[in-house]
Amino acid sequence: MNIYILIFSYLLLVLTIILSILAIHVKDLLAAVIFMGGGSLLVSLVFLLLQAPDVAMSEAAIGAALTMAIYIVAVKKTEREDNDD
Amino acid sequence: MIRKIVYGVFILIIIAAIAIFMSNYKFGVDKMDVGKYYLDNTVPQTGAANVVTSVTLFYRGFDTLGEVTVLFTAALGVAVLYFMGENKRKQKLQESNFVTKIGTRVVFPFILLTGAYIFMHGHLTPGGGFQGGALIATGFLLLYLAYEETSIDRKKFYLVEGLGGLTYVIIGLLGFFMKGSFLANVLPNGTLFDLLSGGIMLPIYIGVGLKVGSELSNIIDDLMCEVKCEEAGGEE
Amino acid sequence: MGINVIIGYTLMFIGAFFFLLSAIGLLRLPDLYTRMQAATKSTTLGAISSIIGIGLMKEDILIKSIILATFIILTAPISGSALIRAGYKVKSPMTDKTVVDKFKEKEGE
Repeated sequence: MNIYILIFSYLLLVLTIILSILAIHVKDLLAAVIFMGGGSLLVSLVFLLLQAPDVAMSEAAIGAALTMAIYIVAVKKTEREDNDD
Repeated sequence: MIRKIVYGVFILIIIAAIAIFMSNYKFGVDKMDVGKYYLDNTVPQTGAANVVTSVTLFYRGFDTLGEVTVLFTAALGVAVLYFMGENKRKQKLQESNFVTKIGTRVVFPFILLTGAYIFMHGHLTPGGGFQGGALIATGFLLLYLAYEETSIDRKKFYLVEGLGGLTYVIIGLLGFFMKGSFLANVLPNGTLFDLLSGGIMLPIYIGVGLKVGSELSNIIDDLMCEVKCEEAGGEE
Repeated sequence: MGINVIIGYTLMFIGAFFFLLSAIGLLRLPDLYTRMQAATKSTTLGAISSIIGIGLMKEDILIKSIILATFIILTAPISGSALIRAGYKVKSPMTDKTVVDKFKEKEGE
């Protein structure tokens, strides 16, 4: 595998981890959903770089679009702020 | 504070253990005989250029039938939870942007075309029925977001869904009666890289793509109706 | 080196220049609306000129790159307008130098 592709995929993975941590820690649940969608879009790019275009396609369509829609509906039906702790 | 430090040390130990354990395995080297078998025998046995599709539909076709059934059950569960009936009252939502409306009208047919391309060329290019169906459902999601008065004709979608599932089972039964085993290859393999090749994969993936697309569109319709009928449901 | 390679490199350089402009604009401009101006318009131009530049350098992917550029032209305004409208709806503050608010005038009619 090309060394630049390897470095780029590691960069994407680090960005994904940062987005996941942000999605857990942010108080606004809608922002958390958007961080999660961005994370799954980056993961689908990593799948594409690791030569799994089938998985990348389903991750981009389901993880980044449909799951986000379902979560946004759930946030709209309940409360937007995380009041738990 | 001490608890956080303990958690951090614990996580670091787990990461180190995984790294040490995984360093023994070389990445990208096939260790299993079955993977090598698929890579060697896919083209002469099935006539499909995409090895992943040949595994999911040819060697493991019965598992895929189970997967389709799982998706069907999930869509059925959502429909049972959110079914509103015909006399649903719609809440007035915020009207969407002019640019969004016109752009959706331009982009929507291309999304449907791309989805159909993906599930029809499942045996040649990456992708397949599930991916193409999910892409079609994404197009319907865009339509719902742009035009609030959108509501798909549920009966036609149920019909398409049922026909897609029926295609899969009928092809399986044809294999059972003609070749003696469920989902056996009853169609000719054809030449490699042709559209009409790969035996039973093309009709099965067309059926699966239509079925998954209509199922996910139905789920989106249920959820969007749940958003729109918010006030009406509260009064009753 | 053929003429198409030179044109391709020029287009990629123009694209990189517009990306740089949009990054500077994101840092320097005062409020959300002007920043979105920098983040959508010049990024669209940068993306399409880089993609078409790559397509000119490798001729077998020229048609693919033109299709990709068309889709970027079609979809970037949709997402940009939706984002900026959401920003307006949550009343993101405008800068002091704002002179006209056409959206408010239209709503007031």
